[in-house]
Amino acid sequence: MTGLFALCLYVLMQTVDPYTPDYQDQLRSPGVTLRPDVYGEKGLEIVYNVSDNRTWADLTHTLHTFLAGYSPAAQEDSINCTSDQYFFQERFLAPNHTKFSCKFTADMLQNCSGLADPNFGFEEGKPCFIIKMNRIVKFLPSNGSAPRVDCAFLDQPHELRQPLQVEYYPPNGTFSLHYFPYYGKKAQPHYSNPLVAAKLLNVPRNAQVAIVCKVMAEHVTFDNPHDPYEGKVEWKLKIEK
Amino acid sequence: MVGGFSILLWVGAFLCWIAYGIQYSSDKSASLNNVYLGSVLVLVVILTGVFAYYQEAKSTNIMSSFNNMIPQQAVVIRDSEKKTIPAEQLVVGDIVEVKGGDQIPADVRVLSSQGCRVDNSSLTGESEPQPRSSEFTHENPLETKNICFYSTTCLEGTVTGMVINTGDRTIIGHIASLASGVGNEKTPIAIEIEHFVHIVAGVAVSIGILFFIIAVSLKYRVLDSVIFLIGIIVANVPEGLLGTVTVTLSLTAKRMAKKNCLVKNLEAVETLGSTSIICSDKTGTLTQNRMTVAHLWFDNQIFVADTSEDHSNQVFDQSSSTWASLSKIITLCNRAEFKPGQENVPIMKKAVIGDASEAALLKFSEVILGDVMEIRKRNRKVVEIPFNSTNKFQLSIHETDDPHDKRFLMVMKGAPERILEKCSTIMINGEEHPLDESTAKTFHTAYMELGGLGERVLGFCHLYLPADEFPETYSFDIDAMNFPTSNLCFVGLLSMIDPPRSTVPDAVTKCRSAGIKVIMVTGDHPITAKAIAKSVGIISANSETVEDIAHRLNIPVEQVNQRDAKATVVTGMELNDMSLEQLDEILANYQEIVFARTSPQQKLIIVEGCQRQDAVVAVTGDGVNDSPALKKADIGIAMGIAGSDAAKNAADMVLLDDNFASIVTGVEEGRLIFDNLKKTIAYTLTKNIAELCPFLIYIIAGLPLPIGTITILFIDLGTDIIPSIALAYEKAESDIMNRKPRHKKKDRLVNKQLAVYSYLHIGLMQALGAFLVYFTVYAQEGFLPHTLINLRVEWENDNVNDLEDHYGQEWTRYQREYLEWTGYTAFFVGILVQQIADLIIRKTRRNSIFQQGLFRNKVIWVGIASQIIIGLILSYGLGSVTALSFTMLRAQYWFVAVPHAILIWVYDEVRKLFIRLYPGSWWDKNMYY
Repeated sequence: MTGLFALCLYVLMQTVDPYTPDYQDQLRSPGVTLRPDVYGEKGLEIVYNVSDNRTWADLTHTLHTFLAGYSPAAQEDSINCTSDQYFFQERFLAPNHTKFSCKFTADMLQNCSGLADPNFGFEEGKPCFIIKMNRIVKFLPSNGSAPRVDCAFLDQPHELRQPLQVEYYPPNGTFSLHYFPYYGKKAQPHYSNPLVAAKLLNVPRNAQVAIVCKVMAEHVTFDNPHDPYEGKVEWKLKIEK
Repeated sequence: MVGGFSILLWVGAFLCWIAYGIQYSSDKSASLNNVYLGSVLVLVVILTGVFAYYQEAKSTNIMSSFNNMIPQQAVVIRDSEKKTIPAEQLVVGDIVEVKGGDQIPADVRVLSSQGCRVDNSSLTGESEPQPRSSEFTHENPLETKNICFYSTTCLEGTVTGMVINTGDRTIIGHIASLASGVGNEKTPIAIEIEHFVHIVAGVAVSIGILFFIIAVSLKYRVLDSVIFLIGIIVANVPEGLLGTVTVTLSLTAKRMAKKNCLVKNLEAVETLGSTSIICSDKTGTLTQNRMTVAHLWFDNQIFVADTSEDHSNQVFDQSSSTWASLSKIITLCNRAEFKPGQENVPIMKKAVIGDASEAALLKFSEVILGDVMEIRKRNRKVVEIPFNSTNKFQLSIHETDDPHDKRFLMVMKGAPERILEKCSTIMINGEEHPLDESTAKTFHTAYMELGGLGERVLGFCHLYLPADEFPETYSFDIDAMNFPTSNLCFVGLLSMIDPPRSTVPDAVTKCRSAGIKVIMVTGDHPITAKAIAKSVGIISANSETVEDIAHRLNIPVEQVNQRDAKATVVTGMELNDMSLEQLDEILANYQEIVFARTSPQQKLIIVEGCQRQDAVVAVTGDGVNDSPALKKADIGIAMGIAGSDAAKNAADMVLLDDNFASIVTGVEEGRLIFDNLKKTIAYTLTKNIAELCPFLIYIIAGLPLPIGTITILFIDLGTDIIPSIALAYEKAESDIMNRKPRHKKKDRLVNKQLAVYSYLHIGLMQALGAFLVYFTVYAQEGFLPHTLINLRVEWENDNVNDLEDHYGQEWTRYQREYLEWTGYTAFFVGILVQQIADLIIRKTRRNSIFQQGLFRNKVIWVGIASQIIIGLILSYGLGSVTALSFTMLRAQYWFVAVPHAILIWVYDEVRKLFIRLYPGSWWDKNMYY
């Protein structure tokens, strides 16, 4: 019996494609995550005091750690890509029978790279948040135009007359198409997710606000009532003074 | 609603709510899943409880029927005035008057009576009206003639008496309190189910606690450990089983009702199957309950009459002219008549006005001679003297139907010795011969022989009155007796018996081959009892009683070795003088026992004696007096036709046709249901392991949970219900009536072999098969089996929304949860597919499926279809309802477990093959459940 079980399991392992999963029923649309990621009772909740650097030291530390994977040294094995088109690779041309991955280095995030401003704007009350879209094998987010991050206040309160002002890095807040499609861990061992940083410029002080960042692309949906992280990420932010 | 599984489920439910409470206090948004689960568990408990209550509510309400018998009014003489008062106001010492048709208002000692006869049948079982007078005739109140009993009916005459007992102190009140005082013993099946519940609960609790400790020591949070505990309990308890057992029993009860066994207490269905001793009444149960002519003696020869139910085949020699004379006497010297308006009723079934012997003679002559009333009309009756106990004969004088013969014919019947005294001649071959010593001797031999058969013998004689002495105008005067009543011509003897039912001997043989001892307990005379016992096989043809051996060897009874006798006839008098040990000895040593002349109270003693032998005792009875014994018996069987209400109430079963043979069909059904329940339980227990393993693996190896508790409930209460009921329709594997009755303490419903084979053999195979489906689903979505190990913490963390799979893809929590539900559905389908194989292998325990026939039990296929349909509905119809945690499963996953299902079937066939090939071997002892 155990033999049959082992045999079936063996057959299963043999029939599973090493590069791409057989089915992606649950992965129709990618999830979106945020850095720094501090969770409260219900979802992401970030609270800090501008004047007390102990309250945000952990947050910037998280960002530094996260971006360490995007240092030029870490990205050494990836190639530079310039085209804004999908980077299709039918064959395994990279060394060790793999496929090429495009470089994404932290400096592409400019003001939010932590290089020029190691405090990521937290000190001045204009914090940087890094938006990451989940990898899905062979997923194409759109039909030609690059997916773009769009951040706004969620349920904008009346007293806040003006909409959220955001500076996006890279400019326009897009994920360049040459990072897609992803061919899986075995084919692209050096692949790193492209990132978008959003620097929030006009967050009111001493008030909790809810912010949502959506990924705008034809094949990314953000209206699944069950999954709060599909195609978007929401968090609560309170900057004290 | 308490006890056994219910306790476990209550515990589970409370744990659920406590878990939710803890979650809620730390996190207001805690999911309501635990609350739902708790509610579902409570619902299951309550539904099972209501179901059981409904079944119990239908059972006995014994006192109410005694209440129905209370007479409403009594005529009492108080202050020298006749008053009518409610019977309950009577006090001891009141003088009451009762007339024909009234019920006796209390126990009454007769002061004076006029031709009073009472019907004591509900009390003593005597069906004949009993005369009552003021003489004291017996020490025993039940036997003496001067006491009338509360609740019996005065049939004719009037009686004046003094109240000696009222209410509960009356004889019947005493019996009523005796009946309600006799505790209702637990039925064998209830004991078996309790035993089974103990096993399962033991397994559930010990595994639950063991893994609770393991979980805690593996540094799981206590809350999580509690949730594991709930899962383990839910997985272990077969929630649907008790309901299934009830349905199975009631299906059998229905089937038995069709065969004339009405079962009042569902559990009694199985009790009948485990019966090892049947204490049977004689009258009505073993016999037809009507006097029938069994033998005739004329022309110095004994002839046998047909005593079968329809009397159709009378083959004795009817050519002799002695028969012509005899038949004339039988026809004419008889006051019984058929009730009018029964032209289409078969003769033997027609209702008759008249006493039992006369009715027997009337039917006998009607069958042989045709229209008796027409014959009587042609032979006009001139005068008659009815039977009375002083003369012991009945006489009538008729004109003859021959117009040329102007003589009168005097016909007489009565007790043979009295008739013979009055005769001087005897008719042989139509000619009168003088009655000499030798003919008298042949008469006596015949008389003794017929009497020895336990039959009631009547003598018949006639006399043609000479025409010259008794002209047509002669006026007969019965008071003056102006006609001769001696020197008559003896014609013949006729003997009657209440013959056994034709189906009974067969049924008794079946009982014997089924290892059931049949004991006759009757109030009748020992000779009659023995004769009937012999004719139905309760005393088999070649076994002898001590008295028989003594008679054969011509030695005194005391010299006979008791061990030589297989059979014995014990009378009530002997029983009275016996100690309990002596009774036990008799019950243990004799295979064939008849108790005769027993009183109703002794029946109870006999039943208790049998129960001391560790036997499961079935008792039949009809009178009120039987109700304590019926209650005391493991299964009381009341007679549907002859039985009193009290007997029917005290009994667990009612025989609608009063036929002993119906008991045997009941036994067969009862044994079958025991076998089939074994199969049902084996089937149900198997999947418990497959439901339990996921939790154990989840705790130990940290895989994402393979099956949810709600999903388990859907298996236990959804897909598995109809198949397990379908096993109740399975036919017997071999002749179950050739087995010994099961031993109460050795042949358990759930034995070690059944538990081990279900849990550790098939159950583990099923678990592996279901895990295979689960792994396949996860692997094809990106999580290969090795990546799943110890993934649990991250997997269940709501704050990880980019969990990487084997391919580097990142999953949000909801995406993972949805995959987890797909995993539940896959595991569910895996179990379901293998349960189909399990269902098929459970059809037999020893025979190959092919011997049993794959398609003989159609209901099994209905069960399989229901399983698949419910599975499809859950997966595809309700796949979008998230609370149920089912998802649409890809069609091919339904087939992943099929090789395992086939292997289960092959494995079981091999098991059965070895059991059949090597009976008695280690394999047989350990693998046969």
